[in-house]
Amino acid sequence: MPREFALLDALVPTLLLAFIVAAIGTLVLDRLFAWLGAYRVIWYPALFRLSVFGCLFAGLGLWIYQ
Amino acid sequence: MKFYLKRIFRILITLAIAGAAVFLAQKLWVRYMDSPWTRDGRVRADVVNIAPDVAGLVVKVAVRDNQFVHRGDVLFQIDPEHYRHALAEARAVVDQRKASLAMKRSQALRRASLDDEVISRENREDTDLAAAGAKADYEAALASLEKAQLDMVRSVVRSPVDGWVSNLLVRPGDYAQVGAPKLAVIDQHSFWVYGYFEEHKLQMFHVGDTAEIQLLGSGLKLQGHVESISMGITDRDNPTDVRLLANVNPSFNWVRLSQRVPVRIHIDAIPDGLTLVAGMTCSVVVKPSAKVKS
Repeated sequence: MPREFALLDALVPTLLLAFIVAAIGTLVLDRLFAWLGAYRVIWYPALFRLSVFGCLFAGLGLWIYQ
Repeated sequence: MKFYLKRIFRILITLAIAGAAVFLAQKLWVRYMDSPWTRDGRVRADVVNIAPDVAGLVVKVAVRDNQFVHRGDVLFQIDPEHYRHALAEARAVVDQRKASLAMKRSQALRRASLDDEVISRENREDTDLAAAGAKADYEAALASLEKAQLDMVRSVVRSPVDGWVSNLLVRPGDYAQVGAPKLAVIDQHSFWVYGYFEEHKLQMFHVGDTAEIQLLGSGLKLQGHVESISMGITDRDNPTDVRLLANVNPSFNWVRLSQRVPVRIHIDAIPDGLTLVAGMTCSVVVKPSAKVKS
């Protein structure tokens, strides 16, 4: 995985891409959990969503910068 | 009771996910900030500045811009007319000194066979010394001849290395001065990478560790290893002034930027077909060997 990508000819760290992918992934998972009714067993849905985002983003980042 | 169990379960699930997020984020932070890698790497190569050893008009340029040349190939030719004449003159001087030497020798020989009653001892000594002087003159003329021949040879400028001609601006008709560079040749076998590492990362690896070079904007990875670490960089905060006094920069104290130290990376193998240009940007990831980690 390259460590930077071209954004309008400016090279930025791939971490930015990971951020966007993680945000979309969090939205998708949020819909999925809502549909499954998973939030009934969650204490604090907002904290849960933030944590899911954190896991996705950090996981992607660690994979990119192996 | 059941209500409380359910509540604890809900809290535990949420906290577990939150804990995992914090753990992973911390790992990512350490990986990004504190592992030995840099985005600030440059491909470098040795460049030979080609300057003629003799002055004169350029009569022929035998290469095109960016052409590959082998060691010894002709790059350009300086008008040899002057040097041809100088050579002829040097030859003539050699002949003249040779004749003069022969004459002085025969004079000395002739006088050596005569005894003290016919000529004075002084006269005999003088002719001996004159013959020795003529021999020295002859040798000097031979050295001048060799120099004239060397000038003649050096009027053809050849490439000292295998490599590529770069920024060729010399044209036939230009006047070439002695020692003034006329074109550059990039040494084919000299490509290396300079990784500019932040100072705190220098402790994380050692000379000999493997390094991975990622050229900017391409997924291509080159293998290399740390060849050496620069042992000094300029103190940017303290340039000496014209009166040799210190000139310490009143720097802003809150944010301290770490200095970048050049680390020389040897490229183990350059893949065939890869256009590697000196000056390209690359990322350098050093993989510290296990021995160093412990």
